[in-house]
Amino acid sequence: MRYLMTSKGGDAPDEKLFTEMAAFIEEMTANGVLLATGGLAPSGVRLTSADGEITVTDGPFTEAKEAVAGFALVEVRSKEEAIELARRFRRIVGDGESVIQEVFGP
Amino acid sequence: MPARLALGRHPVSDAHGAVDAIWKLESATIIAALTRMVHDVGLAEELAQDALVAALEQWPTAGVPDNPGAWLTTAAKRRAVDHIRRAQRLETKQAELAREAGLREELPESSDDVLRLMFMSCHPVLPTEARVALTLRLVGGLTAEEIARAFLDNEPRVTRRIAEAKRTLARERVPFELPAPAELVARLASVLEVIYLIFNEGYSATAGDDLVRPGLCLEALRLGRLLAELAPDQAEVHGLVALMEIQASRSAARTGPNGEPIQLHEQNRGRWDLLLIRRGFTAMLRARDLGGRPGPYVLQAAIAVCHAQARTAEDTDWPQIATLYNALAQLRPTPVVHLNRAVAIGMAHGPEAGLAFVDALTADPSLRDYHLLPAVRGDLLLRLGRAAEARREFERAADLTRNAAERAFLLRRADQLATDDSPGMTLERATEEFLGGLDSQTARSYGQTLRRLCRALGGQVPLSSLTTDQVTQVFATAWGQAAPRTWNRHRSAARTFGAWADLDDLTAGVARRTESPAPTRTIGPEEIEALWRLPNLPLREHTLWRLLHESGTGVQVALSLNVEHLDLDDRRARVGEVWVNWRSGTARLLPELVAGRSHGPLFLADRRPAPARPAASADLCPETGRRRLSYERAEYLFKKTTQAVDPTGHGYTLRQLKPQRTKRNRA
Repeated sequence: MRYLMTSKGGDAPDEKLFTEMAAFIEEMTANGVLLATGGLAPSGVRLTSADGEITVTDGPFTEAKEAVAGFALVEVRSKEEAIELARRFRRIVGDGESVIQEVFGP
Repeated sequence: MPARLALGRHPVSDAHGAVDAIWKLESATIIAALTRMVHDVGLAEELAQDALVAALEQWPTAGVPDNPGAWLTTAAKRRAVDHIRRAQRLETKQAELAREAGLREELPESSDDVLRLMFMSCHPVLPTEARVALTLRLVGGLTAEEIARAFLDNEPRVTRRIAEAKRTLARERVPFELPAPAELVARLASVLEVIYLIFNEGYSATAGDDLVRPGLCLEALRLGRLLAELAPDQAEVHGLVALMEIQASRSAARTGPNGEPIQLHEQNRGRWDLLLIRRGFTAMLRARDLGGRPGPYVLQAAIAVCHAQARTAEDTDWPQIATLYNALAQLRPTPVVHLNRAVAIGMAHGPEAGLAFVDALTADPSLRDYHLLPAVRGDLLLRLGRAAEARREFERAADLTRNAAERAFLLRRADQLATDDSPGMTLERATEEFLGGLDSQTARSYGQTLRRLCRALGGQVPLSSLTTDQVTQVFATAWGQAAPRTWNRHRSAARTFGAWADLDDLTAGVARRTESPAPTRTIGPEEIEALWRLPNLPLREHTLWRLLHESGTGVQVALSLNVEHLDLDDRRARVGEVWVNWRSGTARLLPELVAGRSHGPLFLADRRPAPARPAASADLCPETGRRRLSYERAEYLFKKTTQAVDPTGHGYTLRQLKPQRTKRNRA
């Protein structure tokens, strides 16, 4: 099963965080667990549709701390495995929060 | 500070779930590190399991440690050190010194340890099933129960298989090291085979109700991806990963809403997983960058890439796929590859060409019960507009598959096609009617023959359409290699059936084979001498045996001798047209046996016949009223007595008393 982990916040990245994160990503890739990952730009474009009308708004919309800063798509055997991976991730990045959600499809 | 477990409604089972997840992620590394220390993969796993038990006891209350993997490794290693110390205390000083020398030579831990573990669990000394189970256990971290569930096997059997595999590795002293360059290709092939087997069991479940068991596919993908990182310079590894990624990309598209299979050309390509396809392409590029002559996995991956690149089924580059299958058939001339090649040829060069190729395959005994052969044939026939024949092929394929979803699918395909106008009597119905009229033993024996015919030709084929050629071909494929006796048994069953069904020429193309009779073993001269030396040989038996041995006459003839036939002076007797001649040994005994009688059977039974079983007068002694000695009784007594002299202890038959004829005598 696949889980998408989206993360907010975290300490400002330093050398140590970069090294640990690179090692973590490398390990997860080697294990065949991590399918895709990436960071997200703080600004974005928002599209809303109401009464058949679509409105496009330029970001940013939230405080930097509140914005989703990165994602990881993992393929795991159980929800517990996804939780364990997210736990390791949080330990590296410091304070903040991550959400994991099971992905259905394609 | 250790993070406390989030307390859900079931805190303990949550902790167990977390421990289980951590174990699955870490077990390969831990077991590999321990195997390096204790040189025994079974012991290493036990020690790691001990550490896991400790974690299950401590973590729910003390919390999961910051780095649970490291915690488990440290705990397990502590146990390993304890074990080594204990073992050393028990050993002599000398052995200890030797071990220490060994320990000093040891290499430091390395990232190759998991790779070593893989090579070990896929070692050729193990049977394939054991390799699969052990790899999933040691490298995948699965429990015996999970493996059993995935393979629809039972847990005790999987547990036994794993235990036996570990014992074999210990007994054969399989070292914890990477294979030497000379054997690398073969050993790597074994690892790849195990991974692909696991994948295939998940991807096209051979048995059971589900067509796909995604858990096994994922397990195999993970093992493959891991191997690709551990052995990045092996093109075949990347080929296998590419193949699995691309095949897995179609998982969602290849089953319909009711679990029925959807064939590649009918799949909704929008449901293919582009992420996995992209990963497959990347793996393929890595394989291509390494160069060299493409191996079987790279070729199969290349075929998968061809399909993945086609935006619609019509866009598929079939000529290219047919070329790739030709190359693959050179490396792997397996029936399945040939069959796929036939499909590709049918697509690239038309159904007629494909059908010709498939028909050539029907004679291959290894494809005899392979359900895809009739399924492919059915497809090609259908494309040629031969619907009735196609229908029968789909029905036959449905009979042959063990997978319920696939069977339902094949039957549905068959049902969509028109039936013959009046199929009349089918082979299957005729078979059952025919067998129903026989006694149970004959029915069982003939049933083997006729059910094989049904499986090979399709039970629904009209009886009237059976041809001599078809039957001849089934015989050649099914029993061509069998012993002449077996062949003739099946032949006579088919002949009887043919006579019953008014199809006299059914077996016209099946010639009777000569059975070489089991050569009669003669009794060696030493055993004969030992026989004569036996104490208290009864006179009747002694005389009969001497007579048989000296005259070489048949047992029936000897037993049919009457006193009035004997010419004691000339040492001969005449029975009908046959002369029986004997020599001094018999001559010495005969007068005593005759004992003044003038008529009646020479060899007499011990008792008079019971009133209920009167004997013909020719078989009765006019003087004593006793019956002629029966063949069965004579045979029984001989066998019983000669058990004492036969080195094998079985005893001999009377026929074996006949002296062996030399070639000159026979001429």
